[in-house]
Amino acid sequence: MSAGPLLVCEGLGKRFGGLVAVDGIDLEVNSGEILGVIGPNGAGKSTTFNMIAGALAPSSGSVRFQGEVLNGLPAHAMAPRGIVRTFQHNKPFASMSVRENVMMGMHTRLAGSLWRVLAAAPGAAKAEREAAVRAEALVDLVGLGEWRDADVGTLSFGQGRLLEIARGLAAEPRLMLFDEPAAGLTPAECVCLSDLIREIARRGIAVLLIEHDMRFLMALADRVVVLNFGRKIAQGTPAQVQADAAVTAAYLGNLNDVNDVNDVSDVGKVASAGAVSHA
Amino acid sequence: MRQLLGFLIAAVILSAIGFMLGSYQTDVYRKVLLWVTLALSYNFLFGIAGQVAFSHFTFYGIGAYAIVILIFQVGLPLPLAVLAGLAVCVALALAVAIPATRLEGFYLALATLAFAQLFIVVLDEGGSVTGSAGGLANYRLPDVFGLKVSGPAYTSLIVLLMLATLAILWRLDRSYFGRACRAVRDDAQAAQAMGVNVAKTKIIAYTLTSALAGIAGMAYAFVDNTVNPPIFGLQNSFLLLFMVIVGGSGRHAGAIVGAVLLYLMPLVLSPLIGHHHALVFGVFMVAVVLFQPRGIIGLWDWLTAKRLRRSRAA
Repeated sequence: MSAGPLLVCEGLGKRFGGLVAVDGIDLEVNSGEILGVIGPNGAGKSTTFNMIAGALAPSSGSVRFQGEVLNGLPAHAMAPRGIVRTFQHNKPFASMSVRENVMMGMHTRLAGSLWRVLAAAPGAAKAEREAAVRAEALVDLVGLGEWRDADVGTLSFGQGRLLEIARGLAAEPRLMLFDEPAAGLTPAECVCLSDLIREIARRGIAVLLIEHDMRFLMALADRVVVLNFGRKIAQGTPAQVQADAAVTAAYLGNLNDVNDVNDVSDVGKVASAGAVSHA
Repeated sequence: MRQLLGFLIAAVILSAIGFMLGSYQTDVYRKVLLWVTLALSYNFLFGIAGQVAFSHFTFYGIGAYAIVILIFQVGLPLPLAVLAGLAVCVALALAVAIPATRLEGFYLALATLAFAQLFIVVLDEGGSVTGSAGGLANYRLPDVFGLKVSGPAYTSLIVLLMLATLAILWRLDRSYFGRACRAVRDDAQAAQAMGVNVAKTKIIAYTLTSALAGIAGMAYAFVDNTVNPPIFGLQNSFLLLFMVIVGGSGRHAGAIVGAVLLYLMPLVLSPLIGHHHALVFGVFMVAVVLFQPRGIIGLWDWLTAKRLRRSRAA
């Protein structure tokens, strides 16, 4: 394998009709690194995420993973290549137990010939048993050991998030994509999640996460990329980004604009205009 | 090994029953077995893979018509006719599945309903090939490799077919494929993220179960020794759906219980209360859906769980 970055996005762009959602973004993620992508609402975070995850085809630019161009590959082609994602709104398989959910993460490895299944080839049954054991280890890793045979419906929202991560890890990914992992979690659950994501990176897995929660992201990420209106406006370590004037402007509005306002009612207008442009 | 033994014992017992029955009972018994076979494969399609398709009974009809036409109109020998009939079922299933499985829920139901209606139209307009509205009759099962298979021997053949269907679906359900089917039903997007090719999984599930229905239809063709359009109408498609729901959708045991119960219910009730058996059927359906959506097998689960709790408490 080349020594370069694991994931390289070059000039990545997406148009929806006349709307340019993402406009020429460059990104790199290395193995074992946590890259955070932030930006106000509508900055193009989710669109960028979905292009990398294969849920959206880019209009321009390229996504390369381990040197292979992924543009135009369907979403189900990502897991076999070592890219898995979590969802902002948990998407568990509701009819399955916790363990079975995690075993779904091993689908790529377990899927083979249906003829072997029908012939009850001993290899297939053995692979299933081993998968069940491995799933239990992962359920334990994320701290859901006690709920291993429970229906997923009995889990809390935060536990559901952990289950998604265990399910993703079951695929033995090289890159994990997290879609706003802290959304909807209690502060205590966020701490638990941070620890888990650090542990994942420590195992040499590249982590890309898009996030709204600044405090959560800044404490976790090795590097941060800031998007606004579909463009990259800053990147660097959390400290560098936090000191960046463009970033402050993107989040709080341009201070000069505020200074121009004399009337109290106009302050409201600028604030709401800012809210609209960020929404 | 234990599984194989179980199937062997079931085959012996169920075949033995066939040797003890009179001609009316034999007819009922064979049809129960065929309904169970159909309900098992429909349970995989509807209950496990989550495809609300109304074409399952149509494939039963396609299998039945195909074998009769291929043997008596085309003149193929029996083994070849079985293979060719199976090929027809698979080809038609693929032709329906490739466009139709892109549709979800309601739309898939509509598309497969249209296919089911189209089949009836083709049968009615098929001239001498399908025998039009009167269907095809007055034929007999040709000798199988020089042996005349009839009476209890034919019943045993249907027993084997039912058990083979169960064995196939059982293995599929407990493999990565069954899990992928359930994952697609639960959440297609998440299944995709786990590397499941959603379209392919749906197409395989549809084609495989439809082919199993087709094979059951081939066996049916020599039970009544007549095939005609009214048999394969929508009424039976819906009955099949009710069997799976009443029994407990997604469970093999549920499909078996549902098929036996709903097939026998009118036979038992109509001598007692005449046509009012339809009313009992309706009330029973509504009651199950309202009070026990997981079907009779769900009720059974609940009772065993309760008994287990009580024995623990004691």
